[in-house]
Amino acid sequence: MEIGSGVRIGPFEVFAPLQPAVSTVRHYGEHLFPGRLIVVEGIDGSGKSTQLSLVHKWLESKGYGVVFSEWNSSPLVKDTTKHGKKKKLLTPATFSLIHSTDFADRTERSILPLLKAGAVVLCDRYIYTAFARDVARGMDRDWVRELYGFAVKPAIAFYFRVPLETAIHRLLDGRDGFKFYEAGMDLNLADDSVESFRMFQGRILSEYEKMIPEFGLTVVDATLPIEVQQAQVRQIVKAHLDKAKELRVQA
Amino acid sequence: MRETYGRLLPEMRLADLAGKLIVIEGTDGAGRSTQIDLLKPWLEELGHAVVDTGMTRSFLAGEGIRRAKEGNNLGRVTQALFYATDFVDRLENEIVPALRAGFIVLTDRYIYSLMALAIVRGMDPRWIRSIYSVALKPDAVFYLRLGIDQLLPRVVFSRGFDYWESGMDLYPSHDMFDSFCSYQAALLTEFDRLSAEFNFQMVDAAAGARTVCAHLQQNILQLLERDSRKNFMSRLYNDSTTTAHAAVQEKAQERANKPADTALFAVATPVATPSTNGNGHHHHATHHGQ
Repeated sequence: MEIGSGVRIGPFEVFAPLQPAVSTVRHYGEHLFPGRLIVVEGIDGSGKSTQLSLVHKWLESKGYGVVFSEWNSSPLVKDTTKHGKKKKLLTPATFSLIHSTDFADRTERSILPLLKAGAVVLCDRYIYTAFARDVARGMDRDWVRELYGFAVKPAIAFYFRVPLETAIHRLLDGRDGFKFYEAGMDLNLADDSVESFRMFQGRILSEYEKMIPEFGLTVVDATLPIEVQQAQVRQIVKAHLDKAKELRVQA
Repeated sequence: MRETYGRLLPEMRLADLAGKLIVIEGTDGAGRSTQIDLLKPWLEELGHAVVDTGMTRSFLAGEGIRRAKEGNNLGRVTQALFYATDFVDRLENEIVPALRAGFIVLTDRYIYSLMALAIVRGMDPRWIRSIYSVALKPDAVFYLRLGIDQLLPRVVFSRGFDYWESGMDLYPSHDMFDSFCSYQAALLTEFDRLSAEFNFQMVDAAAGARTVCAHLQQNILQLLERDSRKNFMSRLYNDSTTTAHAAVQEKAQERANKPADTALFAVATPVATPSTNGNGHHHHATHHGQ
């Protein structure tokens, strides 16, 4: 849909609902804001957060305005999510909805306005996390995709691909077991949290694999040394930032 | 069997939801809660177990929504999804279990209000419908309709202007009065549209509370009566078929046994009699012939 500067932001108009009617689109919003949205995806233990924080420091040192947004961190919503997890109130459906609410708040409050302002927005996990987890919990694949129809399409979505056993070794190095929902214990797959984690994350991995062609995720081999991965990532990010600068000049 | 609006939540079984789901819809000030307060004891007096529920009452998200609304920084998409979370929590943990246990569920607003609130805030109607495609279709939706002229004094003179009821998130530059009128008019338009789409039973809420209540009671009685007759018939039908089936089996067994052993059959026959009392068989025949 077109708003002001010709911006596509999703299947409905987010910020100017009572302005003149606009046409609607089905796919995730392509945007022409001066900012750039870069997201990282992958299972826990894939090393995506490490890679993103290195990108963050690098871009800051280059003088870009960089903002970081983490999955499940909305100040308005996260207490409710915490309450739901602590009391084990969440079903697959409400788990999905409360996370979409959190994501909506971050989209409305920070991601969109910051992209408008020309920032580079870095997201640790994005809608693909929800697609993978919620479908692994038995939610309807199309329903979840439509739920997130308001999301802004990222310039780059990195997928850090790692074998399940490697991820488990990395994670268990620092702690004894997994948290209830993290391990998918709500699905009663196994009594043991490590075994449950293995089964649940296995489902998630197979969802990620399907999303690579569906959403054009950029795959990074997360078994490579950190420096090698970072070099690859920076090269790809750099190409997209050149475009961003051009756009900024035009505007 | 009960239906949803198109999609099924994981582990949601639609069989055996024997209770009744009755929705009271309407804008702010239409008297929804007054009616529910009148209907609940009335239904209980008639011997029905009743559960009442309404927006933002979920254990999961109710408190979170209230806190979020205290500030003025609740975005429109966020608001729509927060309400959806609250609704689905109540659907899964209150409404469905109550219906399964045979309760009458009286709900103060349902997905229609949630859709209207989101649509007037500019959300794509297809998007919000997709989210609520997991909701159960209710047995009846009573829409308490009140024109803007009648609504204004009821809401404003009793409790004053409220930020959200006045749609101040949509019209921040207006004063509360102008904003309230524009917002409630937009909601009414949307409700009228939904009314046609989802077959609301329109109730003129401008009449006194007692008149409205009498009207609702009459319609609810019809609904319950229609249903109890249907239940009775199907029970009768099932009973007579199962007894017939049992009789056939017994006869077969008897044939396999010694024909002298008639005691078993003699005992079995009276068991079938109670269900054929009165004109039970007649009902059965009519039902079967349809």
